Amino acid sequence: MSNNKTKPIDPVVIVTLGVLFVAIAFALIAFQPESNSIDIAADSGTLTQLMVAFVTGLTTGGLSCLAVQGGLLASSLAHQIEQDFAAQATHGRKSKQPASRTNSALPITLFLIAKLVAYTLLGALLGWLGSFLTLSPMTRAMLMIFIGIFMVGNALRMFNVHPIFRYFSIEPPKFITRTIRRTAKGTDAATPIFLGLLTVFIPCGVTQAMMATALGTGSAMIGALLMFAFTLGTSPVFFIVAYLTTELGARLEKFFMRFVAVVVLILGFVTLDGGLNLMGSPLSLQNLTRGWFAPSSGSAPIAAPAASDGSLILNVENNGYFPAILRAPAGKALTLNLVTENTRSCSRDFVIPALNYYQLLPETGTVQVTIPAQPAGSKLFFTCSMGMYTGQIVFE
Amino acid sequence: MKKQTFRVVDMSCSNCAMKLESLEDSLEGVKEINASYHKLTMVVEYDESLLTEEQIVDAVKRKGYTAVPA
Repeated sequence: MSNNKTKPIDPVVIVTLGVLFVAIAFALIAFQPESNSIDIAADSGTLTQLMVAFVTGLTTGGLSCLAVQGGLLASSLAHQIEQDFAAQATHGRKSKQPASRTNSALPITLFLIAKLVAYTLLGALLGWLGSFLTLSPMTRAMLMIFIGIFMVGNALRMFNVHPIFRYFSIEPPKFITRTIRRTAKGTDAATPIFLGLLTVFIPCGVTQAMMATALGTGSAMIGALLMFAFTLGTSPVFFIVAYLTTELGARLEKFFMRFVAVVVLILGFVTLDGGLNLMGSPLSLQNLTRGWFAPSSGSAPIAAPAASDGSLILNVENNGYFPAILRAPAGKALTLNLVTENTRSCSRDFVIPALNYYQLLPETGTVQVTIPAQPAGSKLFFTCSMGMYTGQIVFE
Repeated sequence: MKKQTFRVVDMSCSNCAMKLESLEDSLEGVKEINASYHKLTMVVEYDESLLTEEQIVDAVKRKGYTAVPA
């Protein structure tokens, strides 16, 4: 070991900080609500989804990736760093000048860039494939429920609740793992790039969940952005750990696996709930809890009665539907007026699951929906296409 | 050649199986390793004249896992 008293700034630290700053910059640029530079940024629902993906990557995804990919891939990169350290020590003894550490930082950077590209392309592919599945809100609901179950199952697997949950983890085919393993032995510049690309075949639990979410977006663009945001978020942690060798990885795995499981469990339930909302199920958390608050309560959503001509007005705003509860007379048809005013969130994608009604509303304007006569005591649930914002019409 | 199944109950993900299979490359006498996270098992095909069961258990231990012959 070299015991130099004045160490130059390590290029690895510089690149780590660089990755971190790029990640923060991406978050600041892409997630600012008023941004019009990217069309996707105009949709606050997608924006929220991207932000969740990025933060998930930065926290749980990075740690989870570290736990499953770090052992093999980061160790091969760390091995190069160690070799560099050894070369540096030898070189230092001979020439009294520190050897360049460029070779240490470069493979990790190449690996992460390749990984970022590979997962972005994978996201685009999954989103594109998902577009064939999003024929109706019901299909999307089924997909969301499937994704939710997958995420909850994976979380329960991480908690080691029952052996059956181990089957929620996808085992890559042996020929792929063997190829990755043998490639990891290489030391040329192409090796880390190839390894980074191959990580798509050994995704961690959180990554698998995010891949399922990308499938659920039904858009190549959003799928790609989602996986890009997530993978970018994982990069700083992965980079630091690749540098600090796998010893830290093993420790982090022990300490943070439960934390990762809790987050995946929460995300799983949120996705599952969104799917239930989109199905128009009264059993979703939002639809269940809305009923717990009496309309007379001050904190409860305002229940608006129908006008004398039997029409209802629903304000479709960026953060939901107002009022969330509408009251209407039973046994006769009515007109629901959906009013938007500079509405750009996913609330514009208006769905009434029971009527199989789906409409992308204009950013500003009024759209009328004819609601057929409903029996007394029944409820008609409505939601956005992501199952995030909900409301109901109570017939009495 | 001998084929021995080991129980490795402390595998926590499918990549643990991959780590164990990497012993194929480092352990002399091993012909093939098939590890399964789903079953928490590892099947090792090895040359008895070059390798013992204890050496395999030790190598697995160095990877951070505990293998018990089934």
